[in-house]
Amino acid sequence: MKSKTFWGFTLPSVVIMIVLMVVPLVTTIWLSFNQLLLRDLDTVTWVGWGNYTEVLGDAEFWRAVRWTLLYVAITVPINMAFGLGVALLLDRVTRGRPIYIAALLLPFIVTPVVGTLIFKDLFERGGLITYVWELATGDPFAITEGNVRWLIVIQSVWHVMPFMMVAFFAGLQSLPTDRLEAAAIDGAGFWRNLWHIVIPHLSSISLFVVLISVMDAYRVYDSVFVFAGRRFESAQTLQVYNVAVATQADIGRIGKGNAIAVLNVIGIFVVLVPFLYKSYKDQIAERL
Amino acid sequence: MLNRTTWRSRVAVHATLVLLVVWSILPFVWTLQTSIKFTRDVAARTPVLWGYETTSNAYNAFWLDDDEINMWTVLGYLVAVALICTALGVIGRRVERSWPFNVGIIAVLAAAAWWFPRQFEVADEYDFFINSLIVTVATVLISISIGLLAGYGLARYTGVSGAVILIVALAFRALPRTAFILPYFFIAKELNLLDSRFAIVMSLVAVNQPFTIWMLRSFFMDVPKELEESAMIDGCSRFQAFRKVIVPVMWPGVIATALFTMLLAYNEFLFIRVLAPTEWTLPVAIVSLTGGESSRTITEAAAASVSITLPIVIVIVLFQKHLVKGLGAGAVKG
Repeated sequence: MKSKTFWGFTLPSVVIMIVLMVVPLVTTIWLSFNQLLLRDLDTVTWVGWGNYTEVLGDAEFWRAVRWTLLYVAITVPINMAFGLGVALLLDRVTRGRPIYIAALLLPFIVTPVVGTLIFKDLFERGGLITYVWELATGDPFAITEGNVRWLIVIQSVWHVMPFMMVAFFAGLQSLPTDRLEAAAIDGAGFWRNLWHIVIPHLSSISLFVVLISVMDAYRVYDSVFVFAGRRFESAQTLQVYNVAVATQADIGRIGKGNAIAVLNVIGIFVVLVPFLYKSYKDQIAERL
Repeated sequence: MLNRTTWRSRVAVHATLVLLVVWSILPFVWTLQTSIKFTRDVAARTPVLWGYETTSNAYNAFWLDDDEINMWTVLGYLVAVALICTALGVIGRRVERSWPFNVGIIAVLAAAAWWFPRQFEVADEYDFFINSLIVTVATVLISISIGLLAGYGLARYTGVSGAVILIVALAFRALPRTAFILPYFFIAKELNLLDSRFAIVMSLVAVNQPFTIWMLRSFFMDVPKELEESAMIDGCSRFQAFRKVIVPVMWPGVIATALFTMLLAYNEFLFIRVLAPTEWTLPVAIVSLTGGESSRTITEAAAASVSITLPIVIVIVLFQKHLVKGLGAGAVKG
């Protein structure tokens, strides 16, 4: 394809990405050096690194950073292991498979805020699990500052695991059967097969899945907003904390919020740069 | 992966899967039955699990808030619309040209949405539903048309600038929403675009563009180059070959991408919460309901949750293969 034809096809998309992503990103960086309040958007005052020094000295910011990293470190491995397990189960059935997949996918594609609300309802007053908990322990279950983080993690398994499941399931469909048959003749058991054939086969998918899920867990918003939003500030992840700082009625500070957003972007890029570099190499190699 | 299946292991596998299904759908079942209960049963300390009296009050309160109305007529209206659409769909699958029937389904749905508020006295929430509908449809149409062009260009062009665009897009895809939402708010406020559907749609198109072009590109890569080359030898221009030969071949990929774009727009919460102080879509409307603690709003929120989930259930039932294919395509090809 000629360069001129290429730009003819690609220009609308590139223009949209420049106008609506590059320009806002530059605006974010610019605003992060300014004092700007939600209730008075016309007064923009240059404060230099002021917002940054304030954010970096904030205990709440560091609490959100620690909790977000913990959230990523806990949910990604759990969801991957669980997702692989369910994919292996799905691979062994043929009858009823579409029904299983449909039911298991529902939590993943339901509106996230709604999914979280109805999940949380089970643990609220009058909810099913609250009641079962009372039968088992004598006290009704109540969401508290102490357990809300656990509920957020459990909800993430409910919501995100199906994505891993489908990705691994797709990978299992392309597994070379001759190798498994050869292994079976050699008398290899389930675990040895899993370790020596299945997991190596899935490794390239796993890299992609890890990347996507680390990104998504890092920037989780909807579910944590529903669980922690107003009631439990200590369970706010970075994004929820960020939006809260900027949009709280009367005291919303947009400049400071943008400084947090810039730090967020730097954080994700530290993780991302090696992968971007590798993708770029792959893309160039494809072209030679 | 292994075919050593004794009946005992097969039963164990199915039993585990059934348990997982229960875990997945339990919140939905619970919400469904909350939505058809009277508030006194919802407020009971010991949950009333069966034998309770059912009511459509919560649905009435969320959508209509009309004391006089007989909810059976509303249900009849909805069932009639569903039956007509199903009939059109079933016939459409059996005949050679299915597109007039698909257009018919869309026309029937649009007419039903237009007629509904003229037939029944609707609450404000109906406007939020219409907003959801317009935002979703517009986002899908714009995203996919622009993305198709770019995805095709990026799949066929071998210059370095193509690689650069793809990598920059990948980087943007990873960025958190908060990197964009505050400037969007600031700019929309300056341009007097707060509460406009246009601003919401364009912001959703933009944040979705990296995903769209990567996914569509991967589907275009599967189409052999020889196909359009022979079409161009037969006298088609590049664009004609693209429109008449290539896109029809990878149409299932378009459907898969469109489905994920649709879900993204329909499910969006943060952008609309920030960009639209009053002209909400359904997710924001539902979250705003849950601020109160009375059992009345609990049943109403449940009814709203069921209503917003119903279209998604229909999408899973109709398009499961495309969804799985789309998720798999992203994963397998990276």
